[in-house]
Amino acid sequence: MIHYQQFILDNGLKVYVHEDHTTPIAAVNLLYNVGSRDEEGHKTGFAHLFEHLMFGGSKHIPVYDEPLQRVGGENNAFTSPDITNYYITLPAVNLETAFWLESDRMLGLSFDPRVLEVQQKVVVEEFKQRYLNQPYGDVWLRLRPLAYKVHPYRWATIGKEISHIEEATMDDVRAFFYKFYIPNNAVLVVAGPVKPEEVKRLAEKWFGPIPAGKPYYRQLPQEPPQKEFRTGEVEASVPLDAIYKTFHVAGKPSDAYFAADLLSDLLGRGKSSRLYERLVKDQQLFNNISAYATGSIDPGLLVIQGQLNGGVTIERGEAGINAILEEIMQDGVPEPELNKVKNQAESTLVFSEVELLNRAMTLAFYANTGHPEGVNQEGEKLQAVTPDQIKATARQVLSRDNTSTLYYRATK
Amino acid sequence: MITTQIDRTQPPSFQDIRHIDLPQAQSQTLPNGIKLHWISAGEQPVIRLEFIFRAGNWYEPQKGASYFTARMLNGGTSGRSAAQINGYVDQFGSFLELNHGVERINVTLYALNKHLPALLPLMADILSDSVFPEAELENLKNITRQNIQVNLEKTAFLAQNRFRELIFGPTHPYGRNIHPDDIPGIHAGVLRPHFEQRIKGKPFDLVLSGMITDEVLRQVTAVFGGLPVTPYPEDLKETATLPDGPRQELIEKAGSLQSSIRVGKRLFTRRHPDYYKMLVLNEVLGGYFGSRLMRNIREDKGFTYGIHSSLATHQREGYLVIGTDVKREFTSQTLDEIRKEIKILQTEPVGDEELQTVQSYMIGSFAGAVTTSFALADHFKTIYFDGLGYEFYDKYIDSIRSTTARDLMALASQYLNPDSLTEVVAGGR
Repeated sequence: MIHYQQFILDNGLKVYVHEDHTTPIAAVNLLYNVGSRDEEGHKTGFAHLFEHLMFGGSKHIPVYDEPLQRVGGENNAFTSPDITNYYITLPAVNLETAFWLESDRMLGLSFDPRVLEVQQKVVVEEFKQRYLNQPYGDVWLRLRPLAYKVHPYRWATIGKEISHIEEATMDDVRAFFYKFYIPNNAVLVVAGPVKPEEVKRLAEKWFGPIPAGKPYYRQLPQEPPQKEFRTGEVEASVPLDAIYKTFHVAGKPSDAYFAADLLSDLLGRGKSSRLYERLVKDQQLFNNISAYATGSIDPGLLVIQGQLNGGVTIERGEAGINAILEEIMQDGVPEPELNKVKNQAESTLVFSEVELLNRAMTLAFYANTGHPEGVNQEGEKLQAVTPDQIKATARQVLSRDNTSTLYYRATK
Repeated sequence: MITTQIDRTQPPSFQDIRHIDLPQAQSQTLPNGIKLHWISAGEQPVIRLEFIFRAGNWYEPQKGASYFTARMLNGGTSGRSAAQINGYVDQFGSFLELNHGVERINVTLYALNKHLPALLPLMADILSDSVFPEAELENLKNITRQNIQVNLEKTAFLAQNRFRELIFGPTHPYGRNIHPDDIPGIHAGVLRPHFEQRIKGKPFDLVLSGMITDEVLRQVTAVFGGLPVTPYPEDLKETATLPDGPRQELIEKAGSLQSSIRVGKRLFTRRHPDYYKMLVLNEVLGGYFGSRLMRNIREDKGFTYGIHSSLATHQREGYLVIGTDVKREFTSQTLDEIRKEIKILQTEPVGDEELQTVQSYMIGSFAGAVTTSFALADHFKTIYFDGLGYEFYDKYIDSIRSTTARDLMALASQYLNPDSLTEVVAGGR
């Protein structure tokens, strides 16, 4: 249970306070409601590049990190297709430093051309390190455009290609900042040994004077239902063939998501899951195989991915997967097996609440969807899923026409 | 409402951390010699149980024996198949991790309190009656061989492994790596004796963290307090001699867009008198986001996504390593810059402001890293297995704060002589 209080500043900044007086450390999580789905198709990777620029000096503060380190704080950030999230942990007695730093970079950036130039290089190296210079590293660069034809989830958060990052200009940076980095497009969560009145005082002092911007109304093209079986092929210098299958499922804010999430667990979470037990242990077709749901805000994907054992053809492996999918569509699952994945989901939820920062992030995520109460409903919603719903979801989601398959072949 | 203009150029006032409240683990030796340690914190009804055996690389009769013994502990007992074990663990929403390291094998179970009584007998079963079925082992060998082949395609993996091999020697337990060629030599006849001598009926350490109630302690004691236990034999001395002198090596990887670099040397353990001061020096050099190397090679030159240095300390030996993945054509220039930054640390005192920032950051990170029972248990294990007491942490704040710029210069000269550093590049230059 994550309890919280909330208020909204006049400029539209939503503030949530989660009190926990068992720790001397506070967590400050500032979520901006912008991700790679808000980019234009010819300027991809920008939301993430922008995240790097947020550390390159703000209106009144030349360096972001150092003053925070000086008071014993740590910070980081990440960008996803849906959001850009900045977080700090620091001794609660120094909480005001976090307000000072975060409010100043919401007020304005340095817009220093040198910062842009260097961070473009850094992000290009990140692109290479994570996506190009790793075996199978480019999978999501290829899977997204196979599974999505219309929705901006069709490109990866790092960007479609390196040139998009290299071509970003300072005008792009300014436009992006004033469009998205405004108080009425953000959620602030403060967690730890803090008092709501004190958080309110600090929020009004530091964030209150920042003017609201023009509200951003997201109007993204929604992905139409997939109506054909899609395949893609890639050949690369990797040791093992691999298969990736995606299926469209509901987004996380939808109740239908939870059945899809549990379906993915039944198929491929852990060593007793159907795919692992049959295809890795019994038939020994795969070196490893797993399934999961992406949990995005707009309709997401259920993903099955596996690397084949040497000497097993991709076709043989795919037939193995398909037989398991057929079976679950035909017969559904017995109640004890469903209870198993519910128990796994329950444990994961409870364990995820151990860390204060995780609680703050999850609260920010739900608050940003407009349903903060959702943060405490995941457990019930997972428990409420019935075997019939699983069967219905399997039939709908795992159908052939909802499938995209990428064959990743090892160069012989 | 009248609002006074705030001066945003001035940081708010702040407090330095003078004291960190570090709850300590409690320990008790059961009558059979098994050592129980526990630390309770947090409001969530969760438990982590770690069964820790002196059964790592250091004690293995043959390369790979420790790894495969650990990973086969869910492979079957005389009463349960692998599928039954895994199904049972999953049924209660628990998670079982089997890890091996240079010194130890760790068997870790994560569970909700309410399921613990059902899970303890299973743990006792796998830790005293694992049978290493041949079919399970053959499958695991095949999977492991292929995983290594995938890893051998990663420049970071190649560089890191070779670096440890060079500084400790290829046969030393800290230096050796499993190679695909070692795998055919693994069979149940190798694993069973390792299991019998280092795991089954041995006086392991059991570290409990999470919500540890008296009830939990009773449950655990009831299951494990009655196991027959015989002591470990005396530790063998390692006979492999440590290589001396720096080495430089290039592992060419055609088509690689980046080079993975590792630069460093064997150093010392946490017991060394210079340990804390060296932590500060490491932090300044490459230990945090504002470090010299990060500012130079990432934030000034944009050669890399990240560069870090760290002090890795095991029970018997330690080392310092600087690691980065850089754009291939800047490999040599990065190596030059690393040496240049070390040279600066040897010849110019670190400024007051930088030193204070580093000290505050280190102390703040420490305070922020001990906020869950799991983290508290990890901190306990660190000192316990190194034969240190909680005074190691008591001294932490003072030792960090009292390190001076002069100390750092002296340490940099004493320990970071560029001619003493081993250098590995995987990729190209």
